[in-house]
Amino acid sequence: MKRRDFLRIVGVLTGSTLISSCGSGNGSKKFISSILPPEEGIIPGEAIFSPSTCTECPAGCGLSVTLREGWPIKLEGAPGHPVNDGGLCIRGQSSLTRLYHPKRIANPMLRNGGGKFQGISWEKAISLVSESLADSRGSGRKNLYLSGRTTGSLSALTGMVCRKLAVERLPEFEVYSHSAVKEANGLLFGQREVPHYRIENADFLLTVGADILETHISPVSCTRKLSRARGRGEIRWFHVEPHLSLTGANADKRFAVLPGREAVLLSYMLRHILDRGPRRPGLPPEVANALQRLSAESASEGTGIPVGGLQEIRDAIANARRPLVIAGGVSTAHPEGLEVAAMAGMIQWVTGEIPGLVDFARGENYGGVGTFRDMEDLSGRLGKGEVGVLFLSRTNPVFSLPKAYSFRENLGKAKLSVGMGDLLDETMQEANLVLPLSHSLESWGDAEPRRGVVSLVKPVLNPLHDTLSEGDILLRLMGKGSGEGSPTGYREYLFDAWGRKYGKKGRDEFLKRGYVEESFPAKRVFLDGRKAASLLEGMKSSAGELGRPVLVLAPSLRTYDGRGRGLPLLSEIPDPLTTISYGRFLSVSPGTAKESGLKDREEVTVSSADWSEVLPVKVQPGLQDGVYQVFRDFVASPPLRTEKRTGGAVEYIDGARLVKSGKMAAVPILSGSSSQQGRGLIPDPAHKGEKHHHGRVSLYPEHGHEEYRWAMVIDLALCNGCSACVAACHIENNVPVVGKKDHLKGREMSWLRIEPFYGDAGDVEFLPMLCQHCHAAPCETVCPVYAAYHNPEGLNVQVYNRCVGTRYCSNNCPYKVRRFNWFWHRWEKPLNRMQNPDLETRGVGVMEKCTFCIQRIRAAKDRGKDEGRKVRDGEVTTACAQSCPTGAIVFGNLLDADSRVSRLAGSDRAYRVFEALGTDPSVYYLHGKTRGSGS
Amino acid sequence: MAKPMIFHEKEEFLKTLRRLVREGVAKERIRVITPFSVAEVEEILPRMPSHVQVFALAGAASGTVGGFAFTILSTLSWPLIVGGKPIVSIPPFIIIAFALTILFGALSTFLGFLLLSRLPSIRRIRSVEEYGNAFVITVEPEEAK
Amino acid sequence: MAETEKYDRADREILAAMGKPGRLYLLVLAFTVTLVASGFLCWYHQYRVGLGVAGYTHPVNWAVYITNFVFWVGIAHSGTLISAVLYLFRARFRTSFNRPAEAMTVFALMVAGLFPLIHLGRPWVFYYLFPYPNQRQLWVNFRSPLIWDVFAVGTYFTVSVVFFYVGLIPDLAIVRRCKEGIRKTIYSVLSLGWEGTRRQWRHYNMLYLFLAAFATPLVASVHSVVSWDFAMSILPGWHTTIFAPYFVAGAIFSGTAMVITLVVPMRKILVLDRYITDDHFESIAKILLFTSLIVSYAYVVETGLAWYGGNVFEIELFRYRAWGHYKALFWTMITCNSLVPLTLFARRLRRNIAYLFCVSLLVNVGMWVERFVIIVSSLARDFDPYVWDTQMYRPTFVEVGITLGSFGMFFTLYLIFLKTLPVLSITEIKEHL
Repeated sequence: MKRRDFLRIVGVLTGSTLISSCGSGNGSKKFISSILPPEEGIIPGEAIFSPSTCTECPAGCGLSVTLREGWPIKLEGAPGHPVNDGGLCIRGQSSLTRLYHPKRIANPMLRNGGGKFQGISWEKAISLVSESLADSRGSGRKNLYLSGRTTGSLSALTGMVCRKLAVERLPEFEVYSHSAVKEANGLLFGQREVPHYRIENADFLLTVGADILETHISPVSCTRKLSRARGRGEIRWFHVEPHLSLTGANADKRFAVLPGREAVLLSYMLRHILDRGPRRPGLPPEVANALQRLSAESASEGTGIPVGGLQEIRDAIANARRPLVIAGGVSTAHPEGLEVAAMAGMIQWVTGEIPGLVDFARGENYGGVGTFRDMEDLSGRLGKGEVGVLFLSRTNPVFSLPKAYSFRENLGKAKLSVGMGDLLDETMQEANLVLPLSHSLESWGDAEPRRGVVSLVKPVLNPLHDTLSEGDILLRLMGKGSGEGSPTGYREYLFDAWGRKYGKKGRDEFLKRGYVEESFPAKRVFLDGRKAASLLEGMKSSAGELGRPVLVLAPSLRTYDGRGRGLPLLSEIPDPLTTISYGRFLSVSPGTAKESGLKDREEVTVSSADWSEVLPVKVQPGLQDGVYQVFRDFVASPPLRTEKRTGGAVEYIDGARLVKSGKMAAVPILSGSSSQQGRGLIPDPAHKGEKHHHGRVSLYPEHGHEEYRWAMVIDLALCNGCSACVAACHIENNVPVVGKKDHLKGREMSWLRIEPFYGDAGDVEFLPMLCQHCHAAPCETVCPVYAAYHNPEGLNVQVYNRCVGTRYCSNNCPYKVRRFNWFWHRWEKPLNRMQNPDLETRGVGVMEKCTFCIQRIRAAKDRGKDEGRKVRDGEVTTACAQSCPTGAIVFGNLLDADSRVSRLAGSDRAYRVFEALGTDPSVYYLHGKTRGSGS
Repeated sequence: MAKPMIFHEKEEFLKTLRRLVREGVAKERIRVITPFSVAEVEEILPRMPSHVQVFALAGAASGTVGGFAFTILSTLSWPLIVGGKPIVSIPPFIIIAFALTILFGALSTFLGFLLLSRLPSIRRIRSVEEYGNAFVITVEPEEAK
Repeated sequence: MAETEKYDRADREILAAMGKPGRLYLLVLAFTVTLVASGFLCWYHQYRVGLGVAGYTHPVNWAVYITNFVFWVGIAHSGTLISAVLYLFRARFRTSFNRPAEAMTVFALMVAGLFPLIHLGRPWVFYYLFPYPNQRQLWVNFRSPLIWDVFAVGTYFTVSVVFFYVGLIPDLAIVRRCKEGIRKTIYSVLSLGWEGTRRQWRHYNMLYLFLAAFATPLVASVHSVVSWDFAMSILPGWHTTIFAPYFVAGAIFSGTAMVITLVVPMRKILVLDRYITDDHFESIAKILLFTSLIVSYAYVVETGLAWYGGNVFEIELFRYRAWGHYKALFWTMITCNSLVPLTLFARRLRRNIAYLFCVSLLVNVGMWVERFVIIVSSLARDFDPYVWDTQMYRPTFVEVGITLGSFGMFFTLYLIFLKTLPVLSITEIKEHL
């Protein structure tokens, strides 16, 4: 044969011998050779995307999971998903840190004689539970199943298993159970459910306490719809609340109502609507008569809202074609909460928006969720020793239930308490047996966040630890209990169920797309006049006043009801209103602070009749006097009472007193000033017409850009400070979590931060600040080693391996967006799996900052190069822009005249921060609340 | 070797020196050692100004030229835009060139001094005649021939 | 007495300082060496763990180390002023301060040169800062004031060392004469075989003149370049054209004070009254007073410009400097730098050596504090109010340790200098005896 052929054959033989001897057995965990054919579609360096559902809160937003080499490294909202349509909130982004949390429970644990946890195997655990179930049945105790809100197939399975094993399925426990709204809707319309609100079709929205941007039912969905409508200038939004929430801070107008007096406001509104002539259905006469007649002044006195404000709300509702009132949150969690919810329901009825804007057909699936009173009953049963086996799945009653229930003590009296969860929270620590649950990214399942929407939960990796999904545990228990031998897995169960429901083709569609949306006809409901009237009668005589000063326990954007406490990223990112990152704090009004001589960080003892707590103070502009505020998870087992009629908890502590302790606490408040100090970071609307802040004319010739000039536009009217972008940036760019000690020195590491600036009236605007990628960047000239320079596409790039760490660049940046690595940051296993392989983690002594996600730009350009074209508008987007639920951030190529960025940057709302310094930034902000074209 | 005349008074030393010059002794034959620099000696035995200044000029000039060349050529070779400044930014380069002017000038002058004074002198390091604080005049004998 | 006897006596008295070290000397040396050692340990801790162990906050990225750097470079300038500038002006009184001032320059620059390395985030790649052909195909950014620092301070150090050495050559010949054995060999080598011939003196004078001429612009330019580390930024309180003359005057001011701090005890302990007289001190005190007035003028101009210019950022910064977190330091600075030296208008106080010594200590403190206030206050409160520091900068033990170590190193070097090199410029003194 020819020499060449011989060499060729030898080469191939040698090569294939070498290749096949590379360890590739357990491919997804070890080195993957790029010469081997791709396993399961894994191509090194290329990302694959898999649909799933976020389970950080009950909203059930759809996810698109980014996988690299078989590891999920980033979560995005699934575009087109009926719940969130591409947006993902701060908790959802942080869900990945839950998957990779170093302290996840790794295997089942049983409490031994000495009270400590010992690992046991799943077989033993299941056997133990099975035996205990049988024992309890024998000894006359009841076996109970308690979980957090469960929907979809898991709910069906739980029901079936509980029936088979004769376990009583308790009402699900959620801190935010919307019991008042459910009770009201049950009384008025016979629908004991939370309806779906079609905010996108309303032209006036009045939210009473409902924190729709933070935790209320489906915050990303509400945010998205609301922002779209606001962007088109089609909706006005007023918010009424007793405290100050992020939601209230973003409404077009916010009214501070006296705590517990929202019903007076709503009854005044309802009366006014009736007086102006009812719309379609109207109210039955007995109801209209039972309705109080209030003058504006007495309503003002009753609610604490000035007469002018009342008139504004009144007129807005009256003039709106499709007004929508949503009551919820803390405004329905007090003794008159039922009235508030009922009034809102009646207003919805009278304005004819049921079933238009208020859709009971697509209810939010809270029917299975019980009340606090149900938990009180459970605690009672535990206390009486009636309970054999108690399952506690995905719920933390030991932490969240009022102290008076004595749940913790009573829990010990159950024969066997089985905790199911992923982290050792307060309830899990009290359980006898701990069964670790797989994360939603490790398990199969589905969720039905509202009727008609089923969202797929699909695993993207094998469980990191010895965990099982809840469905698998239930099936094993059932198999064990009924002696059926090896049980089917949850996956088979699900595929079977989906096959039956959707047909084989439908099921494949479902698996590919990640969701199914059904439509049904609207549900007609009818108002029960008698019940409505008797409710209104009762309102006149009920005292229901909350003794001021009152401490409000508000839902938290970052931790929801406390379930996000274990995730370090959620503590690293500060609360947008106060900019406090780590630790607890008590918000007081400026009036209270002045009166009591309180300063930020000063410690006080806040106490009521039988409870006290030491907390540092934060002065919150905009909060009304007589109201103190904490987040719900700052107080464990709070001294709350149960509201009799609804069964919900009163999320207020009456008669709260403050006593200064004289000490200062170490609280990291990241903002140096809550005021703009007259510097025009967000221009005063009064200056709108003036265009005197141009950049200076430069002495130097302009440098050109050939193909791309990347720029970003941020619409401040849409940005609500939710900080989802911050979380997205952290995870996309391997930004380390630095901890409280560094935060106390102001050394926050976020490349992107939300700066809240308060006006004199207590109103707040949020300015997302990131590297402006200036064209005349002051940081570049002063770097001695060219670690910062301007690339031909208009980006200010930072070359990490060139940086010697003189920090002059950070000194010279007027926006102070450059972040220095003061220490080595270690990523505790398995969090290191979360790192994006497209960029390095920076070592000590290196400066880093926002890069406009240059790794994504490069990937997009590579794709374009493969296809022989330029990057199209919308093809590449930064992590922050992608996650933003309101769509406030837009990124693109300024040289492309058709791109969104070019159009927005040229609008008359556009401005740049500190333009007069001559830095020529690439980030344009849109200010002013006027809506116009260009969205 | 001629015998050195050692003086302990400066005036005496200067008088003798003037006498020698008046007597017509060739200036090249007169070697003078002083404990410190005596300005009058230069008046009595004038010479061309030291050539050290040539070295100074050459060094300084090379510093200026080198400084500009170095900076301009390196920025032209790697044209990175920083802060929108032109690639060849003369004002900062002036500072570099200035620093190098002084540096090369000083070093070159020092080098010139060493060369012209024929220092370090190995012979003298090993053994040198110490006259202490005295003023010494040595008249070299006339060359035979 | 015969002239040479006068000169011999001068030799003896001045070289007496190089005798065997006494107990007090060894004690002080032990103390300064301990300071150096503890400073080194602190630095090593920082090197291993990262700059986070220092008190830096965001936005205060420069604090104690840069203050030290500017402080020590500033001190160096006075030495060159005395050796070079006063030489060109033919000021006679300079000869008694000449040598200690030049030594101070060299040692201050050695200490100063460490701080850019200490304050780097990644000191192990410090060589990235030097321009030399390399396989990374990168040159440094000549537009950056930090690189100007590299060149300016590097040049200054080299020229100062050369100048110092050149001035020492004739004196080393004198020492060579008085020593025996191995010491004699060392000094012989160091003095290059100097004899003092006419030719040597001729070239030497020309050399000295040129070195003085080259060093003179350095006095003005090097600290201007160091001040441009700040003035070339955009920060309010830093970005002002007055910085160059302000810092140069401040450098001479603090350097003169350090000269007084060093020479007053030196004169007393080494009994050099004959050569360093009260008249000499009075002249130095006049320099101190003059530069203090320039510095005070600069304070007034800066503040006045901020008020007159109406720039929102500048006004707030100057208000913050005087009345904000750093007000105690600010008023210390005003007192020590502007008010206390005014007393030197009184002739009696100028000639009171003990008083002069106290004033010099206060001025040293005041000038250190001035650099600290300038650096930290401008960083703490700049453009974006979100970023403002909410409390005062607190240096940690690492920074304190390294600062004390730097003082320790300076004094250690100075003490060693006292014992190994002629402490005054004998040859020049003899010229004017």
